[in-house]
Amino acid sequence: MIETGIPKLDEYLGGGIPEGKSLLFCIDPTVEESNLGIHTLHHNLEKGRNCIYVVSKSSPKQVSKTFEEFGWRMEKYRDNLILLDGYSPLVGAPSEEKYVVLEPHDILSYEDAIQDAIEASPNRPIIVFDSLSNILDLCGERDALQGITRINDEIGKREGVGIYNFAAWPYKESILYRIKRIFDAIIDVTPIPGAMFVGQKYTPSKISWGGKTGKSVMFKVYKPGGIRIYIPKIIIIGPFQAGKTTFIRSLSTRFTPVDRLGATVSVEHGIVDCKGYRAELFGIPGQERFLPIMEKMGKTAFGIFLVIDATKPHELEHARQLLRNARNNIPCVIVANKQDLQGVLSEEEIRERLGVGEEVPIVKTIATQGTGVKEAFEVLVNKIMDSEVYVG
Amino acid sequence: MLAKTGIDRLDELLKGGVPYGENVLVYAPPFIGRDIIIKRFALSGLTEGEPVIFVLTDKSFIEMRKELEKLDKSFAEFEREGKVKYIDVYSPSVELKEESPYVTFIDSPVNRERISAAILQAQREFIEKSERHRVIFDSLSTLIVYSDAKAVFRFLQVVSGTCKRLGATSLFSMTRGMHEEIEVQTIKHLMDGVVEMREEGARLQLRVQGCGEVISRNWIDYLLEKDEIKLTGAFRMSRVA
Repeated sequence: MIETGIPKLDEYLGGGIPEGKSLLFCIDPTVEESNLGIHTLHHNLEKGRNCIYVVSKSSPKQVSKTFEEFGWRMEKYRDNLILLDGYSPLVGAPSEEKYVVLEPHDILSYEDAIQDAIEASPNRPIIVFDSLSNILDLCGERDALQGITRINDEIGKREGVGIYNFAAWPYKESILYRIKRIFDAIIDVTPIPGAMFVGQKYTPSKISWGGKTGKSVMFKVYKPGGIRIYIPKIIIIGPFQAGKTTFIRSLSTRFTPVDRLGATVSVEHGIVDCKGYRAELFGIPGQERFLPIMEKMGKTAFGIFLVIDATKPHELEHARQLLRNARNNIPCVIVANKQDLQGVLSEEEIRERLGVGEEVPIVKTIATQGTGVKEAFEVLVNKIMDSEVYVG
Repeated sequence: MLAKTGIDRLDELLKGGVPYGENVLVYAPPFIGRDIIIKRFALSGLTEGEPVIFVLTDKSFIEMRKELEKLDKSFAEFEREGKVKYIDVYSPSVELKEESPYVTFIDSPVNRERISAAILQAQREFIEKSERHRVIFDSLSTLIVYSDAKAVFRFLQVVSGTCKRLGATSLFSMTRGMHEEIEVQTIKHLMDGVVEMREEGARLQLRVQGCGEVISRNWIDYLLEKDEIKLTGAFRMSRVA
């Protein structure tokens, strides 16, 4: 199996791409095209796999710059990366690469160059195409697809893997149909509808070797960094002085505090980067007057942390009300904070007082020391990823 | 509602300007005033408070900025106010390296995906601040030369669609004489209007197709004087012309 390294995707693919198969990232043209392919390429280069990057829409020099933008160094992979240059001849520039597509308007020329590169690479090569759409445009759609079918066969014989970025411009239906047929797996990449300012999502729509199709995952591309799953909104609620701010602060990589004399006076914001995820946290102050804000934000949130002071049983009634107001079948995790203090309530007591069942996990934390905080995050994002609300 | 072109008599011909949200092709041979229409259209937008996005494939953003500063002293001010964004598809290919917070560089005209993503990105920033904006794409010809008209057609389908949806009034340019007739027709098909320019012997002429209501659709003489286009042909009473 070849991993893509894209968070969660390998899980949906059933571990990755089996040797001999091909995968297409079918990308909405308003989304930048090559990011998923290049993320996969880098992931495998890091693992020491032999990779061939077929470049047809930007110069090899630009590829190296793109690597830099992501915070990666291309020179590091001198031994296991072949850049196959289909760009320089197109613009009449001299190429410094060993493998060059001499006639970029001819798919046969692509095939020749790829064949040479495959023969030169030791075993099971991973071939990533920066832009299949560009090859289609240059070589003619039908010819190009016939050529690609032959290339896939060749890669299959060598037990390699073919990975293609494809910008889904409004091609003819028949062409799109054929494209969908000739690849073993298709991952659709689209901007998030209705919230086009937020990010993108990927949805596996075909996996010939079995796996999980139809589920969408929101992600963003970070430079540097690469691809991360993106959760636009998690709200943090809880009674006054339960430790919400401390919890957010200890979880966040970036945090905007808004406190006056020890009490939070407005919605606070934090950004978490953890295990391939990026999430935005919104802390809603515990005072009564913030109730309307909480209800409003609760409607568009993907997850909720209810932070409670586990030593104050009398506050749990209030917490129970908060939870009832904020929650609309959104995944929720109870953060039982201040575990370092005397007289913490047991899990059963908390459940009983809050009136929640086993479906709502309780995670014990000491936010001031950061204990349990990351665990709580992991538990919540896993629940979010499985939820109906998240997958559009 | 109409977007002024910034050329007085052309606006008159257009009964006030180009309808908001439409996209117009300027189709002209080199050196007979296409650049002036583009620049005036941009400056007119800025004066009206509409931010402008330039997509440049044949000159660097530095050149464009200089030329605009020459035409309008307040251009630098517009730029400082964040009302101008350049998507420069030219500089990287000739290894010009000047940076600016207002520019996004695209390494190659083949990289249409990045161009469309960059336009959208710039639009997102503008529509938060302004109800309307303008997009200037100079020129489509370069894109066609690097691949083909069909690919550019698909690209335009997406870009012009987004422009419409986000309320941009846009101007695309194409060089007359560089393309097959079928290519020109293909591109025109996606436009709401065309301003066509030609050289007829010693006379320079332009005519408008589409663009909502106009006074005349005949060829109209114009003069090129330094940085101005002056329509000299009569169009109020077209039979006189």
